[in-house]
Amino acid sequence: MSVDETRPSSGGSSVEPSTDDVDPRLVERIRRLVTEQPYGVLCTQGQGQPYGSMIAFAFSDDLSVAVFATPVATRKYRLLSECDHVALVVDNRPDHPNDMMKIEALTATGQTTEVERGPEFDEYSQLLIDRHPQLESFVRASSCALFRIDIFRFLHVTRFQEVGQWVPRSR
Amino acid sequence: MGATLPLVVPLSEAASTGEKWVGGKAARLSELLAAGYRVPHGFCITTRAYHRFLEDGGLKKRIDMEVGRKEMSSMRWEEIWDAALRIRTAFLRTPIPLDVSEAIIDPFQGFAVSPLAVRSSAVGEDSAGRSYAGLHESLVGVLGEKALLDAVRVVWASLWSDAALLYRHELELDVTRSAMAVVVQQLVAMDRSGVGFGRDPRDVNQDRQLIEAVPGLCRDLVDGAVDPDRWLVRRSNGEIIEWHPGVRTGRTEGPLLANEDVGLIHRTLNTIETTLGWPPDIEWTGRGTEFTVLQARPVTTAASRDDDDRREWYLSLRPGMSKLEALCKRVTEDLIPELEAEGRRLAGESIEDLTDEGLADAISTRAAIYARWKKTYWDEFIPFAHGVRQLGTYYNDAVKPDDPYEFIGILKHQPMIATERNAALRHLADYLKNHPALLDVVRNEPAAGSPLSSEDWPSIRETIASVDGGPEFIEEFERVCERYMDVAYNGEQLDRRPDIVLHTVLEMAVSRTAPAIAATTMDETVPADYEKRLLDAVGPERHEEAGSVIAIARLSWTLRDDDNVLLGRVEKQLLRAAKIAAERLERSRRLEPDARITVESAPLLSAALRDAAGGRVVLPEPNARERQALPGTEEETARQIVGQPAAPGLATARARVVLSTDDFSHFHAGEVLICDAIQPTMSHIVPLAAGIVERRGGMLIHGAIIAREFGIPCVNGVSHAILSIADGEIVTVDGYLGIVTIGPPEFDLETARSA
Repeated sequence: MSVDETRPSSGGSSVEPSTDDVDPRLVERIRRLVTEQPYGVLCTQGQGQPYGSMIAFAFSDDLSVAVFATPVATRKYRLLSECDHVALVVDNRPDHPNDMMKIEALTATGQTTEVERGPEFDEYSQLLIDRHPQLESFVRASSCALFRIDIFRFLHVTRFQEVGQWVPRSR
Repeated sequence: MGATLPLVVPLSEAASTGEKWVGGKAARLSELLAAGYRVPHGFCITTRAYHRFLEDGGLKKRIDMEVGRKEMSSMRWEEIWDAALRIRTAFLRTPIPLDVSEAIIDPFQGFAVSPLAVRSSAVGEDSAGRSYAGLHESLVGVLGEKALLDAVRVVWASLWSDAALLYRHELELDVTRSAMAVVVQQLVAMDRSGVGFGRDPRDVNQDRQLIEAVPGLCRDLVDGAVDPDRWLVRRSNGEIIEWHPGVRTGRTEGPLLANEDVGLIHRTLNTIETTLGWPPDIEWTGRGTEFTVLQARPVTTAASRDDDDRREWYLSLRPGMSKLEALCKRVTEDLIPELEAEGRRLAGESIEDLTDEGLADAISTRAAIYARWKKTYWDEFIPFAHGVRQLGTYYNDAVKPDDPYEFIGILKHQPMIATERNAALRHLADYLKNHPALLDVVRNEPAAGSPLSSEDWPSIRETIASVDGGPEFIEEFERVCERYMDVAYNGEQLDRRPDIVLHTVLEMAVSRTAPAIAATTMDETVPADYEKRLLDAVGPERHEEAGSVIAIARLSWTLRDDDNVLLGRVEKQLLRAAKIAAERLERSRRLEPDARITVESAPLLSAALRDAAGGRVVLPEPNARERQALPGTEEETARQIVGQPAAPGLATARARVVLSTDDFSHFHAGEVLICDAIQPTMSHIVPLAAGIVERRGGMLIHGAIIAREFGIPCVNGVSHAILSIADGEIVTVDGYLGIVTIGPPEFDLETARSA
């Protein structure tokens, strides 16, 4: 992979990349990363203090929406009720990172909405359960909340500092 | 072999396929077939099918969740059973991939009209030198394609059975490496079946073989349902050393096997030993030319098992249906009435005026009676409790419900002493509420704000009796105490603590529905609906069998509670005698005042009464669970701790740690009850609780049962509950997920380092 292949990059144009002109290979790398990696770090905030939580997630086919679940008696649930803007960090670093340059990471920024019980809940909970069948009873528990993140932007990092970005179309 | 490994192989090809793929049982049967022994026709479902099923159904992650939820070494066997039940239910609800199910059904076409035996063949299960017979499932009499696929799932799931999880270290049980193959054979049903040991497992150094036979299927012998005839045979020459007839209803005179039948089994054991290289433990059926070997594994010696191993005891807690039926009859018709009568008889004995010698004798007698009943409790009452677990497995196998504990619906609202007692307390509380003047008096005794104590009782009683409605209340209150509080909890006689009982009644009277309880939904489905669900699932031909399973489970459910209460009454009568002795010894200054009298101190008190020298008595410290600091620094505190979701609901309230009867009187309605284990003798405070957190774990233990009855969120199996949570702390009990959050839901994120 050359630098050219990763355009637009962090050092590239200030023009907003659109879904139409982004390098399709970047989209595929993002898709591969969120498909291969089942877990990520959800970044929330409250009172000016950032907060990170490991979550199990699933993405919609078009990558425009991610879903996760959390018990309602948690810090992240409370923080989400105060501020719905979040970031989700996903990476593929190995246990013993011998080759830092092969690590890929992405930061997806977006806005969360708690999904109320109903057809939308059924759809998104199934998306999450299909990806994490062991979480079925967790996701369906009455004290667990299901959230969707409408993704604003993906920032994909590789080769230590090479960054590409992509804005998915909204659903 | 890997990718090219077939999903199914004929039994004749199992050994050449490789034990790693077909398991020990299939490999041995295949070798015996090749050596010319008569073995039922069949095929082997290889471990590749198992792995495909797990991969496609996401079951590896589910197993990981169950076995990794908590340090297995800190899980009680009841929790292990729960984990195994959830795994089994998940297996039963997971579809088998189409190509796998087609591969299983295809060779089955040849056997379609005859019943099948579906047997486990775990990899490494029965290698030479070790055998884990009985850890995994084998089913016989399986008829039809659907039943076959269900049976295969049950056998696969049994790789993760409660028994297997107990031996997980020895079995090297691991989600990524362990696998289960399955042997499917025609069921060969002859008039005689049995087992044979190439060496007597009780002493393998003797020149003896052991042979057992029963009429009909071998399963009846293995399950312990039928007592076998037993032969000891000289290994070297086949001479019959001894014949011992089995005790069976309808047995005829003489041995079940002729001498030549015994001789054939003797010779077969010897030749199989030559073929396989180790003395075998075989299951067989049929006689003469129809003699058929059902399976062969290495003899497990009694000496290779640790006699002190509690796992052996646990495995004895899974009696089969016929044993349960016999146990049910004995427990309900004999033991429970005897235990009840024993408690009454001891309560009626006048021991207050006995001489010291006479009182010492009374203590010794009562201690022996209590010890005997305690043994009965472990030996017979606890195994009988398996009746409920048997229903659980039976219901889930048939109904395959979303919730693995749906079967409890069949048992709801069974009359139990503890629920009767709680209803009586509720009645007293309602009486107080309807008599405001009386309520005011009770509320303000002895002095507003200070806790009651037993010393206050006479004056409180007098005050209450002087108010309108008071005499009737006292009469009913004392009747309830006598009827239901005639028990001991942690060495304390509850009927000697009317102050504590009054506190509970008062809390019931003044509390509204605990405001902290939210999102708790009560299941309105009645037991008959669940029963119908089960009967519909098993079909009319099994209604009678299902009815028996339900009837035993209901009795088991009820008695599981009542036996504790009734045993508590006998314990109380031992304590009563011990306390009289302690009072005498205190008066003669041989015992420190306020010494804690427990069941364990009874023998010392008895000996002291007989001690003519009149020496001082030092009692051992009570073995109570008390709070200790968790290792770590003050900055290290738990925020969220995990247990089992034992009763659904969500509650946030102040915590109250209850470890003794004195703690009962500090417990207020709307608090979260934090305790070691809810005993039936303390469950009267449960209705006051907004939530429950218990160290003891299990979905079918008393605390979980009563919490569900009252719709109170409960998390149990929280190892450090008592150590991690302090009185007065705000806790959130998530009974849906089994999570306890310590600290208020509202919190400040640290925006600056604290000084």
